[in-house]
Amino acid sequence: MSKALSIKSAALLVGFSFTALSVAHAATITLGTDVDAGTLDPRLARDTTAYRVADLIYSGLVHLTPGLEAKPDLAESWENPNPTTWIFKLRPNLKFSDGSPLTSADVVFTFTTILNKDFNAPQRALYTPIAAVEAVDEHTVKFTLSAPYAPLLSYLDIGIVPKTLVEGGADIALKPVGAGPMKFSSWTRGSAIELAPNPNYWGEKPKAHKVVVKIIGDGSARAQAFEAGDLDIIQSPLAPQDIKRLQEDKRFGAVVQPGLGVTYINFNTKDSLLSSPKMRQAFSMLIDQKTIVNDIYQGVDAVASSIILPSSWAYSKDIKQPGFDIEGAKKLFKEEGWADANGDGILDKGGKPLSIVLSTHSEDSNRVQTIEFMQANFQAAGVDAKTQISDWPTFSTNYVQKSQHQIALLGWLNIVDPDRLLFAQLTTGGSTNWGAYSNPAVDDLLKQGRSATNQADRTNAYQKAATILASDLPYYIVSYQGYQLFYSKKLPFEVQATPRGNMRGLIGLKD
Amino acid sequence: MIAYIARRLLLLIPMALGMVVVTFGLLLLIPGDPASVLLGQEASPDAINNLRNTLGLNDPWYIRLGVYFMHLLQGDMGRSIFQNQAVSEIIVGRLGATIELAIVALIFACLIGITLGVIAATRQGSLIDTISMVFAQLGVSMPVYWLGLLLMLLFAVTLGWLPAIGRGTPLLQATAAALTGQPHVLLDSFAHILLPALALAANSAAIISRLVRASMLEVLREDFVRTAYAKGLRRQRVIIRHAFRNALLPVLSVIGLRFGALLGGAVLTETIFAWPGLGQLTITAISQRDLPLIQGIVLTFAIIFALVNLVVDLLYAAVDPRIRLG
Repeated sequence: MSKALSIKSAALLVGFSFTALSVAHAATITLGTDVDAGTLDPRLARDTTAYRVADLIYSGLVHLTPGLEAKPDLAESWENPNPTTWIFKLRPNLKFSDGSPLTSADVVFTFTTILNKDFNAPQRALYTPIAAVEAVDEHTVKFTLSAPYAPLLSYLDIGIVPKTLVEGGADIALKPVGAGPMKFSSWTRGSAIELAPNPNYWGEKPKAHKVVVKIIGDGSARAQAFEAGDLDIIQSPLAPQDIKRLQEDKRFGAVVQPGLGVTYINFNTKDSLLSSPKMRQAFSMLIDQKTIVNDIYQGVDAVASSIILPSSWAYSKDIKQPGFDIEGAKKLFKEEGWADANGDGILDKGGKPLSIVLSTHSEDSNRVQTIEFMQANFQAAGVDAKTQISDWPTFSTNYVQKSQHQIALLGWLNIVDPDRLLFAQLTTGGSTNWGAYSNPAVDDLLKQGRSATNQADRTNAYQKAATILASDLPYYIVSYQGYQLFYSKKLPFEVQATPRGNMRGLIGLKD
Repeated sequence: MIAYIARRLLLLIPMALGMVVVTFGLLLLIPGDPASVLLGQEASPDAINNLRNTLGLNDPWYIRLGVYFMHLLQGDMGRSIFQNQAVSEIIVGRLGATIELAIVALIFACLIGITLGVIAATRQGSLIDTISMVFAQLGVSMPVYWLGLLLMLLFAVTLGWLPAIGRGTPLLQATAAALTGQPHVLLDSFAHILLPALALAANSAAIISRLVRASMLEVLREDFVRTAYAKGLRRQRVIIRHAFRNALLPVLSVIGLRFGALLGGAVLTETIFAWPGLGQLTITAISQRDLPLIQGIVLTFAIIFALVNLVVDLLYAAVDPRIRLG
């Protein structure tokens, strides 16, 4: 009895102290995230937490709006005198959070290190068309490209790092110094990152006086911590079940919108069963997108129709991949010579049964369910489908990236430009073309898409490529991933979401 | 006695070496490449190979093992591939949280387990005995992450009494703060540790209660207990002074082993409650294939476990005069 009482009184006291705290620091914003940042050096960032926190601590030459348009950040203007030259003019009197000046030398240093092969920057491939970066004067930077590269501007939001400090041996991976709206306060690894407003930031001051990014690995626990009031804001990735529950809760504001990712099927075109487009079409027609999206993902993602995201300027609703059609698939299999000759319910050709392996990774239970559901439909159509599920490192490095797969379910994120989902993935010999797809017509169109300087030409090229891909099907896009954000209605300012999950709009700034 | 302790400590060295070799072998066998995980999906095969060279992953296994041993002998556990920090620094930063959680959970487990066990044994066949044993059965069979989420749902989300996640000020510091007139710091720390420690303790409490019950029942039937009653001692005194002290012996060795189980259970508990300890780090390190970090953590856990067992053996000798070490 006395124990029960003391727990209750302890709880009451704790509850009291929390209320007192939240009144005292009204503008402390606590955000929940799923993984700890590996590094806070923007050049080496590779996880969502690192990208999102780095976007607060650092500023890039440009900033991408929620509509993915590049607007001036550190650069106040830029010009593009010819297709392979970009000149950026920096704002006057820029300073890092430690008070040291930010000049063109810092910009040159940032991009030179990213392009250095031995620096091992994860995003290096996005910048390789840059042949040279030079400081014209203290406030002017010139990029020279080896070939016209239209997506460049979308990638120049990467944070600029302080050259003198880094060359002097400071470890900005652990103690970052940038010129973004917030500055680094502390980092308890695996637990929380704390930020305070950067007095030297050139732009509007954030309304949050303190930002705490809390790391909670388990998705359900993160949602519960939000419901219990320990967190003010949580965002994707979240389980569909939690999303439904949070959406119905009147205490919380919700933003549910299309994101920048796709979930797709990667066909290995080197595999003898999958080398013909007709076979890939037949298998695609066995994928019941509607049930996958509505029942497994509970409607938080959307049924995909082509390889271009609906939010993109290049999207056209007239480009359509094949839809779910078991009978149609059977017909195609028949045309390719597959029939159930021995009456065992499995199609065969030349005495060999039609066997295929569907694979995905175990971390995402919705993907596992999707694969199992696909397996059932494949079997109903007379395909002997097996599943192979392993953890991400095994699945990605030892399997898909070595082209050992047949049909694999996985995803791409951060598609800020159509080029990012197409060029490296689907041009002949592309660095992430794991399905070994090769089509000279598509190669040409994708090259046009990245080198054309006006958007109409780019749109034209991407739509033509997408039309070919919708029947060639090296990829079958299953769904467009949704983005979700939930926030406490008690926040003292308005919340503005961006589909990338960046957080400037969550600390009282206009994104 | 001192010679015994010295010998046991020396034995730690071959154990640690063996542990390193076994972990290294397992890590060689599991597929998945840290370089590729580190660089992400968009990296080209060239970039991945370049990083593998930098990390020394393209060297033959015996060279990598040799290099690791050389560094280990100098007290260097290497650098984490993913965290840009020395493994030893990372582990030291996390160890306190895990030990704190494990010790508090062990205290809870002993308090709950022994109380239930003694009550159940002294009232064998009664309703309270049945209830205790149903609890024990539940505790043994309920997975810690499930129980953790249920506790969180009840006490943090529905009732709002306790924080759902995270750790307050470390208990030692919080106690110091409480002594200097800031009791709310200690209360806050306690509120944070209560749920994870309870979730983690449940399984051990259940096992301990069943063991205490069985052990008590056996001792209560011994001649010396009847003699004690015959001397006219009160029931309470007989149970506590005569029966319980003797029943405690087998329990003590189990408590030592449970500490190892608690360290293991911490892996899941910490992930659920966002407790910034070694357990949570283990999951992350394995999912990223952060080889030096996994090695370091396994080695640390092994040494802690061995040390705890040594302490239990010493305690055993102290409690039971029939046992002589040496």
